[in-house]
Amino acid sequence: MLIVQQVLNGLMLGGIYVAVAVAFTLTIGILNFLNFTIPTLFMLAGMIGWSVSFYGLPFGMSEPLGWIPSLAIGILCAIVASLIVERFTYRYFKAKHGDATEHAIPLVSSLGFLLIFEYMILIAHGSDPRGFHTPFGDLNWRVAGLVISIPQVVGLIVSLAIVAGLSVLLARSKLGRALRATAEKPDTAVLMGVEVNRIVPIVFIMTGLLCGLAGALFAVNYGEVSPFMGEQVGTKAIAGMVLGGLGSVWGAVAGGLIVGLTETFSIYFFGATSAQVTIWGLLLVILLIRPKGLFGHNAIGKGKF
Amino acid sequence: MPDPILELDGVGKHFGGVVVLQDVSFHVARGARHALIGPNGAGKTTLFNVISGVFPPDEGTVKLNGRDLAGVPSRRRIAMGMARSFQNIRLMPHLSVVENVMLGQHARQGLLGQLKPVGLLPQARERRAALDLLDAFGLDAYPGQVVANLPYGIRKKIEVVRALMAEPELLLLDEPAAGLNPTETAALRDFLMEVSARGVTLLVVEHDMPFVNSLCEHVTVMNFGRLIYDGTAAGVREDEAVLEAYLGHRRKGATNAA
Amino acid sequence: MSGYLSGVIAILGINVIFAYGIFVTAAAGQLNLGGAGFQAIGAYGAAILSLEFGLGIWAAIAAATVIGGLIGFLIAFPILRTRGVYMVLATFAFAQVVVGIVLNSNYLGGSMGLIMSDYIETGAIIWATLGVILFVFYLMSTPMGLAMRAVHDDEPVADLMGVNNRAVQVAAFALGGAITGLSGALYAYYFGFVEVQYFNALLSIFVLLYVLIGGTQTAWGPLVGAGFFTLIPEALRMGEDWRFLIFGVLIVAMMILRPEGIVTRDAVDRIRARLSPRARDA
Repeated sequence: MLIVQQVLNGLMLGGIYVAVAVAFTLTIGILNFLNFTIPTLFMLAGMIGWSVSFYGLPFGMSEPLGWIPSLAIGILCAIVASLIVERFTYRYFKAKHGDATEHAIPLVSSLGFLLIFEYMILIAHGSDPRGFHTPFGDLNWRVAGLVISIPQVVGLIVSLAIVAGLSVLLARSKLGRALRATAEKPDTAVLMGVEVNRIVPIVFIMTGLLCGLAGALFAVNYGEVSPFMGEQVGTKAIAGMVLGGLGSVWGAVAGGLIVGLTETFSIYFFGATSAQVTIWGLLLVILLIRPKGLFGHNAIGKGKF
Repeated sequence: MPDPILELDGVGKHFGGVVVLQDVSFHVARGARHALIGPNGAGKTTLFNVISGVFPPDEGTVKLNGRDLAGVPSRRRIAMGMARSFQNIRLMPHLSVVENVMLGQHARQGLLGQLKPVGLLPQARERRAALDLLDAFGLDAYPGQVVANLPYGIRKKIEVVRALMAEPELLLLDEPAAGLNPTETAALRDFLMEVSARGVTLLVVEHDMPFVNSLCEHVTVMNFGRLIYDGTAAGVREDEAVLEAYLGHRRKGATNAA
Repeated sequence: MSGYLSGVIAILGINVIFAYGIFVTAAAGQLNLGGAGFQAIGAYGAAILSLEFGLGIWAAIAAATVIGGLIGFLIAFPILRTRGVYMVLATFAFAQVVVGIVLNSNYLGGSMGLIMSDYIETGAIIWATLGVILFVFYLMSTPMGLAMRAVHDDEPVADLMGVNNRAVQVAAFALGGAITGLSGALYAYYFGFVEVQYFNALLSIFVLLYVLIGGTQTAWGPLVGAGFFTLIPEALRMGEDWRFLIFGVLIVAMMILRPEGIVTRDAVDRIRARLSPRARDA
C-alpha cells in the first residue's frame, strides 16, 4: 500500500511539472527558444497571488482578496510578464537580426529577465516561504488505506485536461495549424499567409497561462509559496521536458510525470536530498541512450548556439 | 585516358527511395580543367559531396591518385590532395581573411605545429605563406578584416585561396561563378587559369556555359543523376542527349546548349 | 592593500579563471551550463586531497586541476553525443548530479561542507589568474585555437579542412574542466571551506553569462565579462538583492546593445588599428 501511495504522490507532484514542462516545450518547439523565464512566471503567479490575498492590491486599492480572485490576478500577472519578455527578447531580436534564434541571444536575455523577476519579488517580500490558505487545503479522501489529497487530484486532472485541450487545439484548429507551420518553417509560414507576428505573442500568452495555472495549483496543493519555488519546480520541469523530448507535448507530459515519480520514490527509498542525483542522473542516462529524449522531434533543439 | 587523378566508377546514391546518382563513371585527367554541368537537380552537388566524403556512395568507387577512398573520413581527404569550395560561400564568418586562409594549412600541420603561437608572431612562416598566397592573387588589400564584411566576389576568391593553401592536386569548385557579375566572372576565369597554371587539376560545377567554354577543355554532363555526356567542350554543343536535357525535346540544328 | 580590496581582487581572480574555463568550450561552439559542477569537482578534489591524503597546497591544487581535466575529458564523450539545447541541458544535468552526490555523501561533508586546514592569500590567486589569462591567449593564437574557432563557426567545413572536430571538442571540454577545476581549488583554499550550497544552478548560469556577455570571439571576452560583472555590483554598493536585480537589467540591456558580447573581433581590430596603424595587416 505504501508503494501505491508513493505512486499517487508522484503523479500528483508530476502534474505540477507537466504544466511547466509543456510551457517549455511549446516555446522551444514552436519558436526554437529556450525560455528561462518560465520558472519565474510560475513563481510570479504563486507569490503575487499570495501577496494579493495577504495585503490586497498594491497602493491600498483594495482589502485583501479571497483566494480565487487573488490567484486569478497572479495568473494574469504571469501572462503580462510573459508578454514583456516577448517584447524585449523574441520580438526585439527578430526585428534586429531577422532571426530571433541566432546564437544564444534570447536565451541569455531570458536569463536576465529571470533574475529581474525573481529579485523584484525577493526585494518586495523577502525570501521566507509564505503560507497560502484555501478552504479545502487539507481535504483528503481516505480509501483502502490510501490518503488522496482532493486538491491534488483536481490539480492533476486540470493539468492533464489543459494539455489535452492544447494538443487538440494544435492538431485541429486553424490557430494550431498556423502554430505548427511556424514551428516547421517560419519563413514559409509567412509566405503561406500565416501572420507570424500575431502568432508569436499567442505562444507567450499560452506560456504565461500554463505557468500561472501551475503556480496557482501549486499554491493550493501545497498551501505554501516562496520566491524560490520557481527554481525548485522549474529546473525539474526542464528535466521533464528534456526527458520527454523537446517540442513534444505528450513527451513533456510523460517526462513531467516520470520526474514526479522519480522524485517521490527517490525520497522514499534514499532520503530527502537524493532526488537531485536520481532525477538528473536519469536525464543524463536517457540522453546517453537517446540524445533527443524519449519522444523528441528529430529537428528540434539541435541547432547550434 | 592517361594518368587520371580522379576515377569514378559506377557511383550510385539514393536518399530514401529517391535515386540521386545512378551508375556515374568518368575520369578526371591530371592537370585538366574539367567541367561538370547539368540542369538543376541533376545530382552535381551530391556527386561533389560523395567525392569529398561528406557522405559515402551507396554503390561504386571513388579513387584519388589510384587509391580507393572508401572508408577514408572526409577530414583526411584534404591531406591526400583534394580540396573544395562550396556553392554558398562557407568562409568562417568570425575569422579574418588571413586566418581563414591559414585554416587551409591545418591538414599539413603536425601536433607541434598546432601549438605554435602563430597569432602572436607577426613574422611566423604560416602567416607569411598565407599572406604571400593572397598577394599572388591580388587579395592582399584586406588580410586583417573579418570576412563577413567583405564583398561577395572577394569572398568567393578567398574561399578558393583557402582551398589552395592546402596545396591540393585536385580542386573541386561548386558553382564558382554563381552570383558574380560579368566583370567579376571574367576576373574569376583569369584567376582560375592562374590556379590551373600552377599545376592544380580543376573540377568545376557550373551553370554559366560561356564561362565553362572559356575555362574548361573537358565537359561531363549529368541529368537525373545519370551521366549523359563525357567529352570535349566543343563536342557538347552537338550532342543530342545534352540538347534534349537542356531544351526538353530534340531540335534539329540547335547549336547553343545553354 | 586593504582587506576589502584584496577580497574583491581574489574573487575577481577566481571568477576570471572560472570564466576562462567556460570560455574554452564556448570558443569551440559548446555552451557549458554545468560550470558549478566542474568548479565543485576542483574545490572538493583539493579539499579531500589536502584533508584526507595530506597533500601540500600546490600539489593539491595541481592535482585538483588534473582531476577536473580528466572528468571533463570523460564527460565530453556522452555530452558530445547531444546537440544544441540538449547539450546545454546535459551539462546542466551533469552539474546537478555532481552537486547532488556531494550533498548525499558524508565523506564529502554533505550539506555541512568541509573546512580546509591551509589557506592561500590573494597574491597566489593573482599569479594563477595571470597564468590562466596568458595560457588562453597563447592557446587562441595557435593553429589549434584557430581550429577551435573554425569548429565554432562551421563544423562541416572545418571537417573538410582537415580539422578533427571531435578531438577539438573533447580537448576543449578537458581543458575547460581543468581550468574550472583550478578555479574551484583556489576558491577552497582562499575561503578556507567548501560548502555545497555555493555550487548551485545560478552559479552555472552566472558564469556562462560572464562569458557570453564578455564575448566568445576573442580571449578578451571572459576577462571583460567577469571583470564587469564582478566589479559593477561592488561599485554599486547595494543590498545583495538589488545587485542581482541590476545584474538582470544589465544583461537584458547588454543583449540589446551588444548581442555578440562586449568584446567582438571588430572592436579588437578597431582598437588595434588605433594603437598602431601597421597592426591592421597582422
